[in-house]
Amino acid sequence: MRPLEGVRILDLTWVLAGGGGPRLLDALGAEAIRIEWRDRLDTLRLAGPFAGPEPDQSKPRGPTDPPANVNRSGIYNDINSGKRAISLNMTRPEGREIFKRLVAIADVVVDSFTSETMRNWGLGYEVLKSIKPDIIYLQQSGWGYKGVYSGFGSYGPVAQAISGLTEQSGLPSPYPPAGWGYSYMDWSGAYYCAIMMLLAVYHKKRTGKGQYIDGSQLEPSIYLTGTAVLDYAVNGRHWQRSGNRAIAKPAAPHGVYRCAGEDRWIAIAITNEEEWRALKTEIGDPAWAAEPRFATMAARVANQDELDRLLGAWTAGQDPFALQERLQKAGVAAGVCQTAEDRVERDPQLRHLNWLIPLPHPEMGTWPVKNIPFHFANAEVDQGGPLGRAAPCYGQDNDYVYGTLLGMSPAQRAELRQGGII
Amino acid sequence: MADAFLSDVKVLELGDEKGEFCGKLFAGAGAEVIKIEPPGGAPTRLNAPFYHDQPNPERSLYFWHYNVGKRGATLDIAAPEAKPMLEKLIAATDVLIDSLPLDTLSGLGLDWSALQKLNPRLIYLVITPFGRSGPWRDYKATDLVHLALGGPMMCCGYDPRPDGTYDTPPIAPQMWHAYQIACNQAFIGAVGALIGRETTGQGEMIDLPIHQAIAVSTEVDVPIWIYSKKPVFRQTGRHAVQRISPQAQFQTADGRYAMLLIGITPRESAALIDFLKQKGFGGELTEKFAEPASRRGPEFNAALNRALTQCMGAFGFEQLWKEAMRKRISWAAIRLPEENLADEHWRMRQTFAKVEHPELGETFDYVGAPTLAEQCPWRTGPRAPLVGEHNREIYARLGLSDSQVEELARKRVI
Repeated sequence: MRPLEGVRILDLTWVLAGGGGPRLLDALGAEAIRIEWRDRLDTLRLAGPFAGPEPDQSKPRGPTDPPANVNRSGIYNDINSGKRAISLNMTRPEGREIFKRLVAIADVVVDSFTSETMRNWGLGYEVLKSIKPDIIYLQQSGWGYKGVYSGFGSYGPVAQAISGLTEQSGLPSPYPPAGWGYSYMDWSGAYYCAIMMLLAVYHKKRTGKGQYIDGSQLEPSIYLTGTAVLDYAVNGRHWQRSGNRAIAKPAAPHGVYRCAGEDRWIAIAITNEEEWRALKTEIGDPAWAAEPRFATMAARVANQDELDRLLGAWTAGQDPFALQERLQKAGVAAGVCQTAEDRVERDPQLRHLNWLIPLPHPEMGTWPVKNIPFHFANAEVDQGGPLGRAAPCYGQDNDYVYGTLLGMSPAQRAELRQGGII
Repeated sequence: MADAFLSDVKVLELGDEKGEFCGKLFAGAGAEVIKIEPPGGAPTRLNAPFYHDQPNPERSLYFWHYNVGKRGATLDIAAPEAKPMLEKLIAATDVLIDSLPLDTLSGLGLDWSALQKLNPRLIYLVITPFGRSGPWRDYKATDLVHLALGGPMMCCGYDPRPDGTYDTPPIAPQMWHAYQIACNQAFIGAVGALIGRETTGQGEMIDLPIHQAIAVSTEVDVPIWIYSKKPVFRQTGRHAVQRISPQAQFQTADGRYAMLLIGITPRESAALIDFLKQKGFGGELTEKFAEPASRRGPEFNAALNRALTQCMGAFGFEQLWKEAMRKRISWAAIRLPEENLADEHWRMRQTFAKVEHPELGETFDYVGAPTLAEQCPWRTGPRAPLVGEHNREIYARLGLSDSQVEELARKRVI
């Protein structure tokens, strides 16, 4: 049995910062029903990489059919695995009436629209609560509803820029910030989307009460800026970038060093004298390593530029993975800067942990999807969710939701389809 | 007192920085978190920065930040007298967070089956660098090594040279993100298990390998490899993708930076060109690229880049972004974390919180809630515990008298 069995989520999220939240609850056993409409699809449905050859766009399509490649995005497949999906035109009053019928049989409503959208549709919390008194409504907008920027949009890079995460990453000035080379706040935003839903579900199980949560992508981003705010509040110190050097405790050498091959690097972190001795032995106890300027941690920290240069000269010709294995055997914390190829094709530990799970998809076939990293001893928990499948096709679960759950006859469903409602 | 999400949940935290952020999340959500430290205090009390730069176990801002809202007791868990105390603490908790070195608890006879006997309802969360088994089980790691092996570093850094090679290293974004990434997911698993326990009445053991948690948290690099077998290039202040994309980060008149997400949709491109024109930097763009269909390709990108470089360079980093945002252009100031403290938006949402340090007679601004939940407000405070601050209270619950607690302290058991 899965821990969230019986919890039904109406999923009105987009891309990853929203969409990744219900994904995780699916893995835990919830039933997330993704609500989509062909005229305003999740951009990920239309973004590559696609599985297999480009579909034929010239085939005739019906009045409410989505674009032909809508079910083949690899990224969408990863982020929405385990979910159900229905097509529903929420811009039409008839569509919103059907949505209200779904609210009556749901536990959680989650959206990641900009903050006024649901209210403009007459679907604010008060309305949802009048339909289902214990409903949990998580509004996961960019900036949150309350506040002066509530109408602003957000993507991961925007959240990272404003919060300070971008400025915190990179080599010291005069280098500019390096920032994050991906939307860190998309997965991290999704984690907080999941966290808030889970906390509210637990609270409801204990008290019977639902609630409204005014979530955002920006605040978790601020939450992850760590001690920088406190250092300013207490010491008046502004954040300064320091590349890959250690900030919380003295450590040297501490950085990444070039290895053999194009753009291959190994991270080495020495946090005590025992590790330094082990590293020196592996290098072959060269004369430079015995010099007084590297004799203590404080001395090494003070002379890091030169230390990095000398260590880099030693790593430069070496195979990164062989060096990693050798240094780890000697008790030195070392790890290759791994690419996606390294992780997918070679990393023996990730393979041991079954980090990718093959999940079937009706159009794409079976592809690997990133599995959840929490391994339960008793409950069945994996990214296929109770359905054991990858992301849904557009409208894949219309029969289940409109037929089985809402009891609409095939004739009613056909009429709604003809009318451009489902 | 207002309601809290986890007001009836008790958490026991054993270990180091690997699990501290997870305990912080539990405390924020309203659980009672008891942090067990070795006598003298946890090693993370010596992590920088420090109050007035004084290295001291009571003055680590690192410790304050990651342990706000917790209670603290000291215990040398390896001491013979400690075992029955630890067992009683475990019997009385809902969640046990264990980020001790591998096999520490099982080495004390407290493996999962023993823990289940002590407390059949226990949620036992084990946070390890690489997992409890597998070829890299005994590898050593740090935040930096995790961000290297897990994948973030090869996505983060600076543009390559024109020939596609790099003269700058991959970058590990700083602030102990390895543990923050892992603990977010550990918390998700643990709250999921608490929900499951409402139905089954049974406990659960959850294994959380930090390496895996990080490896699944990058974005497009893995799907691009799986579906296209192509590598990605790391690029300054923007996504690592298969090709070099247009510049997205620009220096501003005050020597700071602002960013812009370019060309998500034709509507956004049109809005951006209008905005640049309005600011007096649209000349070339509006003349040569009046037709929306012409707004693609290297020539257009170069013209847009020139206009943006000039416009950004003419204003301060905070000056234009709100106006651009109102026009639905994804333009943002690149702020320092502390620059959010003065922002009205966060003040209205109580995103930052004041935390009192009575023994210093001072109150400081902390990062507060990751979301606004008015019915179950996030809790930020009281300040992190002093070394052994709650020993008497916590050990009184185990039936120990004050004099017994003093005796244990003399023997350095607590």
